[in-house]
Amino acid sequence: METFLQVVANGLMLGGLFAIISIGLTLIFGIIKVVNFAHGEFLMAGMFLTYLITTKLGLHPYASVVVVAPALFVLGALTQRLLIQPLLSARDDHVQIFATVGLSTAMINLALLLYGADIANTPTSGLRTPVDIGPVRVLEGQIYIFLCAALLVVGLELFLHRTQTGRAIRAVAQNRAAAQLMGINANWIYVLSFGIGAACVGLASSLIAPLYPTSSTIGTYFVLTAFVVVVLGGLGSIPGAFVGAMLIGLIDALAGFYIGSDLREAVVFGVFLIILILRPSGLFGTRVKLSHIS
Amino acid sequence: MPVTFSPTLPAIRRLTPAAMGLVALLAGLFITPVLIGDEFVYHVFITICLFAGLSTAWNIVGGYAGQLSLGHAIFYGIGGYAGVILMNMGISPWFGMFVGAAIAAVVAIVISYPCFRLHGPFFALATIAFLEVFRVLALHFRDLTGGAMGMMIQLKLGWEWMVFRERLPALIIAFGMMLVCLIVAQVIRSHRLGFYLVATRERESAARAAGVQTVKVRLTAVAVSAALAAMLGTFHAMYLTFIEPAAMFSLPFSIQIAMFALIGGIGTVYGPLLGAVLLVPLTEFARGMLGAEALGLHGFVYGVVLVMAVLFFPNGLMGALQRFPAPKASQDPKVVQAAPVAAAPRAAERPPIGQEVMRVENLQKHFGGLHVTNDVSFSLREGEILGLIGPNGAGKTTVFNMISGFLQADSGSVSVLDREGRFQAPTSPSDFAALGVGRTFQIVQPFAAMTVEENIMVGAFYRHHDVHDAREAARETAHRMGLGPWLDAEARGLTIGGLKRLEVARVMAMEPRILLLDEVMAGINQTDVRRAIDLMLSIRDTGVSIIAIEHVMQAVMSLSDRVIVLNSGEIIAEGKPQDVVRDPHVIEAYLGKDFVHAQH
Amino acid sequence: MTKTALMTSSALALALLAGQAAAEVKFGALYPFSGGLALLGEESARGLEIAVDEINAAGGVQGEQVVLERGDAVDNNQAIGEARRLISVAGVKAIFGSYSSARSIAASQVAELAGIPYFELGAVADEVTARDFKYLFRTNPTADHMGKLIVNMIVEKVAPGLGKDPKDLKIGIIHEDSSYGTSVAGHQKRYGEEAGLNIVTTQGYPAATVDMSSIVLDLKQREVDIVLQTSYQNDSVLFLQQANEAGFKPAAIIGGGGGYSMLPTAEAVGSDVIEGVLDADFTQYAVNTEFTPGLEAFVAAYKAKYNEEPRSGHSLNNYVGAMAVLKAIDGAGSFEPDAIVASVSAIDIPQGATAAGYGVQFGAGNQNDRASMMGMQWQDGRLVTVYPEAAAAAEMRFAQ
Repeated sequence: METFLQVVANGLMLGGLFAIISIGLTLIFGIIKVVNFAHGEFLMAGMFLTYLITTKLGLHPYASVVVVAPALFVLGALTQRLLIQPLLSARDDHVQIFATVGLSTAMINLALLLYGADIANTPTSGLRTPVDIGPVRVLEGQIYIFLCAALLVVGLELFLHRTQTGRAIRAVAQNRAAAQLMGINANWIYVLSFGIGAACVGLASSLIAPLYPTSSTIGTYFVLTAFVVVVLGGLGSIPGAFVGAMLIGLIDALAGFYIGSDLREAVVFGVFLIILILRPSGLFGTRVKLSHIS
Repeated sequence: MPVTFSPTLPAIRRLTPAAMGLVALLAGLFITPVLIGDEFVYHVFITICLFAGLSTAWNIVGGYAGQLSLGHAIFYGIGGYAGVILMNMGISPWFGMFVGAAIAAVVAIVISYPCFRLHGPFFALATIAFLEVFRVLALHFRDLTGGAMGMMIQLKLGWEWMVFRERLPALIIAFGMMLVCLIVAQVIRSHRLGFYLVATRERESAARAAGVQTVKVRLTAVAVSAALAAMLGTFHAMYLTFIEPAAMFSLPFSIQIAMFALIGGIGTVYGPLLGAVLLVPLTEFARGMLGAEALGLHGFVYGVVLVMAVLFFPNGLMGALQRFPAPKASQDPKVVQAAPVAAAPRAAERPPIGQEVMRVENLQKHFGGLHVTNDVSFSLREGEILGLIGPNGAGKTTVFNMISGFLQADSGSVSVLDREGRFQAPTSPSDFAALGVGRTFQIVQPFAAMTVEENIMVGAFYRHHDVHDAREAARETAHRMGLGPWLDAEARGLTIGGLKRLEVARVMAMEPRILLLDEVMAGINQTDVRRAIDLMLSIRDTGVSIIAIEHVMQAVMSLSDRVIVLNSGEIIAEGKPQDVVRDPHVIEAYLGKDFVHAQH
Repeated sequence: MTKTALMTSSALALALLAGQAAAEVKFGALYPFSGGLALLGEESARGLEIAVDEINAAGGVQGEQVVLERGDAVDNNQAIGEARRLISVAGVKAIFGSYSSARSIAASQVAELAGIPYFELGAVADEVTARDFKYLFRTNPTADHMGKLIVNMIVEKVAPGLGKDPKDLKIGIIHEDSSYGTSVAGHQKRYGEEAGLNIVTTQGYPAATVDMSSIVLDLKQREVDIVLQTSYQNDSVLFLQQANEAGFKPAAIIGGGGGYSMLPTAEAVGSDVIEGVLDADFTQYAVNTEFTPGLEAFVAAYKAKYNEEPRSGHSLNNYVGAMAVLKAIDGAGSFEPDAIVASVSAIDIPQGATAAGYGVQFGAGNQNDRASMMGMQWQDGRLVTVYPEAAAAAEMRFAQ
């Protein structure tokens, strides 16, 4: 029983990690409807930035968020403005996906060029200290990640529902044309949303860097899982992404322990496929209209 | 040499310089390495042929059918493993290739069937997930696949083993397989299947209304594409002599296949070829020139080039090439409004109204708490025009959807007389189409990327399986509908009046016995309304029964033999048009109670 | 002129130079220089470069200066392409490589069919030399050597050190699930069972994992005494950290090269966590230098050339293999493939005479039969050789 509880605790902590990474992605995917394959590389860039700030300036990794989040906001906004927006009118919607694949390739190799293939270790600053909660043991840093993910969900929900800008973002997400008729500048909203999504990744990278070694390929470890989480949660649903992340974290941990670590990926993707096929709108998404009949 | 160059293929006949360019390109692909005779050049050109073949195969699904698969390495990998496993059992890869192709086709159908509900990025993510599952399974089932350590082939040289010391035979095979892919792609694109695929991609519901079994055509496309990819996989495994799950079921590899097609021109027959021809050497030379300079430099350059290519040629290189020739004046869709409509001459006398052809009984439909159709029953007779009117939100289109198979009624039945004189109870749009029921959509649903002629051909294919016959039928229908001058214009350029006519033309090309018209006259000008009325009457005179939802009262009055008035999902009146419009219930429904009271 | 500039210009002006540059001979350096394997690919290539520098300073081979032409084997198809390019465009007389076994298997097949000698200095999979190629030689020890050494080390050294019968120890094998981890784990299992060891579990996992807590829990529940992990860097770090944090303290952890031999791993997990962890790998630097003559000179040359400490033993082993082969080519009398093969086949260097300690003599499948791995232990932040006795620079330590 204790082992089971520990596995569940590990799963929840893993879920927190997936959640903090996926929340930014669900904003971008849900609002702009762009599959951003460079999402993992945004995380990588943020983690390198955290590493640099922490090691060069001697700051606590969490303090670096004041630089990393705005920097990522700018990176995200620029990506939308310079890369995605010019392609919105392209004949084929898939073009944007490939633009982000190109961006991802370029960023991974740029990191390789700048930092080499070595891993970069951000100082842990005591965040790897184990904490015993009842029968289970987790890391201090993992708890912070979990809490921050939960707070971020609440914060973004408040932002999207209680502020003028947030309502505008939701309006554009639901119906771009209608929102534009209401005088909302959809392009600007997209740039803003992409920026906010990327800034969330910036926050995530400052939290993750002290716990995981940074390398040029770190993003590729996370990006597929992040997409799984976002789709499970329902397109653009931020609480959905959080719950989806918990689910995937738990499945990952339980499958890893009870089925076998070599098959856990197959289990995670298998569950993802089943849910996707049975409920294409995700666990918490509103039903998407499937045909054009009017 | 192959069918590709056959002058009978219309696409090529029309673009003679392009066809010549294509022949030159293909010849260059084969002759260049032979002339240079260098091992590395051979390798680069074999790689070009491989990727061109794979991208062309991918394009049948990703381009024609518009389903963005990022899991095509599954099929390539299956082909590779089938070839190697069988070769190590002493069976020639020439045979293994077809085993792999067959398995890949079956796998493709099994995994694609549930995924076709998914669109755009969701489909892409599902294919990625399948790819990951396959990779993990290939790692897990070591007895079959050799697991992570991979499998080597025994180095048996010669044609029967597809392994050679010299490079020319490998180039011949790679080139030949690429040609096969191109020919298959060309044949599909220029035949019914290709039209159906593009139509399904553009507007699934309109394609279904045109009798296209959208799932079936997509599955066919996926199976063909997977089989071709698997055959190339077998060849490449023999070329590599060593395969492992990480390389055979690789996501970056899948993305690359799609990328070449995208950069060349997604959905075009020769775009993927162009993409591979330009990009493969580029990556090879970038690696040669920059690989030694600094870690990651050439990868960075490659990434930046991809971004630039996508930004500057979002419609692919083929899209960019097509912009050069100036559009012919007759293709300018703007002329549509001013052009005369050649309505068909009317028969002198209308044939008498015949027996019942459609019987609708007690239809009920709820959407959540909303009772949108309440006990609707009516029947339609041969050669009759039945007007279906009612205020907005009365449930007219819902009824239409139920009597064309797009929506299942909660209860009640729809039966249609078949050609043998028996009543059938069709359920799906294709069932209805098979019984000769054709419909239009209130919101026009053109296949935007197709020309007017091709749009109508999608309908015409229902009766004529041969392209030439379908084209003839489509042209004839187009002339009857007054769309003759714009046959070669893209549908997206038509005016709303033109699109409405196109909508009817597509259905008429199916030669329906029962025609369901949903507000074909809304939003068109007075002259066009009169023409449309004439047109409908002439259609009726050929013995076709028509149900028309219409708001234009002039049309309803002059056309309909009978009118049904629907309000809040119920039939409130039925009868001759002039009687119905005097019915107080009808006036009340349209104009409100106060108006009725004021009149009395 | 810098070295890279020289290489680029020579690549560009190849056709012009071909006739005139009589004083130069080209060899290929085929390694993964980009992609996921870039770090150790690059590190391996450095060993080859130092060997070439040393040979060139001593007058080159057969009186000609050696020029290395780099080829980037980022994936298997590229490995083939680059091998072709090196052979046909750059006109190399032999190829050295290639760190990754999969790339080596793919590329050596090209060289074999073209009749160009291929010298494998670092790939460990058995399959590389299982094909009985004529032109392929491998100087380095293999996965088989690694599995054997680890089992021998447990039986001869670790179990006695822990005061236990080897058969009483519960052994858990975990490995990343690519070719490297899987093949080493397979040999560990095979030799372990032959030696009568009690192997309680064997588990693979993807190297690109972000969480190993379920494996740690499983091992903990099985009360495993000795963990054998074959892994890359990320997963080594993850396992060591998560085992430590979960309070899982097996009597011994034995890494199989990869991440365990690298200083950044130690830095990432902290020297207290990695203290006492054992590792089997190519010869490393903290070793009894009487057994490895020339090691100090190599390290000095490395520092002078790259301005840092060697990052792993890959460079050393590539250096040792390359030196043996280059010297043999020097004595071959011509650059004809068959002359090179004849001369290389005749190499006979005894144990304890190279900078890596092991000797060189090619046996079945042209595998260096004298190659061997060494057992090492992280002691006070350094990776120190502790096994076999002859090479040991320190005593193996045991946490009590």
